[in-house]
Amino acid sequence: MLELSLFVILALFIVGGAVATITNRQPLFSAFGFLVSMLAMAGVFGLLENQFLALAQIMVSVGAVVVLNILSIMTVNAKEENLPKELHKYRWILLSAVLVSPVTFLIYKSMSMAYQHFSRLETVSTKVMGERLFSAWVLPFEIVSILLLTAMVGAIVIARKKDVIAKETR
Amino acid sequence: MTPEPFFFLAALLFSIALVGVVSRRNLFVIYMSIELMLTSTSLVLVIFSKVLGSADGSVMALLMIAVIAAEAALFLAMIIHLYRRNRTLDSEMCDELKQEANNA
Repeated sequence: MLELSLFVILALFIVGGAVATITNRQPLFSAFGFLVSMLAMAGVFGLLENQFLALAQIMVSVGAVVVLNILSIMTVNAKEENLPKELHKYRWILLSAVLVSPVTFLIYKSMSMAYQHFSRLETVSTKVMGERLFSAWVLPFEIVSILLLTAMVGAIVIARKKDVIAKETR
Repeated sequence: MTPEPFFFLAALLFSIALVGVVSRRNLFVIYMSIELMLTSTSLVLVIFSKVLGSADGSVMALLMIAVIAAEAALFLAMIIHLYRRNRTLDSEMCDELKQEANNA
């Protein structure tokens, strides 16, 4: 019962944060909704007895991604006239929600029909995860490290001021 | 507790984020919606890891968090680049390739 009430509270935070993310006009308010959603998602990971992923979610998604996001929004600092003019925003959101809802139902049914119960095995611990990560999953782990390096270099190259190159190409 | 409400939460979060991607034009909102979709997918991986009693799903979710971080860096760099060039956050303005095709 405690588990279920915790789940309901966390789910309300996640869904509320997601709705706030997609409805707010100012990107900074959207980012705060995103932050709430990500924090509550870490709580759901904890509820699934996956403590390490809950910590990783807080450290990476909340601590790095959301902070980087808010910093970019503040760096860009778009004025009101530079924001896109979305006159019929709620109409579009409503229309696409109606169009997407059968897909939601399909995803939910296809997943929940297959598995009705959690496994009774206590095999998903941080220790086992570490052993799997460095034995069976060591190649994806290395590929992810290369991906992170490439993304870092690529982000610097893309965001760099390149007036000279831009003038030449125009 | 059964896995059913968790699956429902994952499907609902994915759909809300999909609605955000298709109906909004602010680049930052599109980026955050994509992040929400990725997070809901990693939630599904974690649920399956607990349902099947295997740690592999959790390892995949962990690798996915790293991919989310890489995607965040690249996407935000691209938003800053586009804003510097177009002075707007409107995704409608990112249509250089379309115009090239029309002129040719």
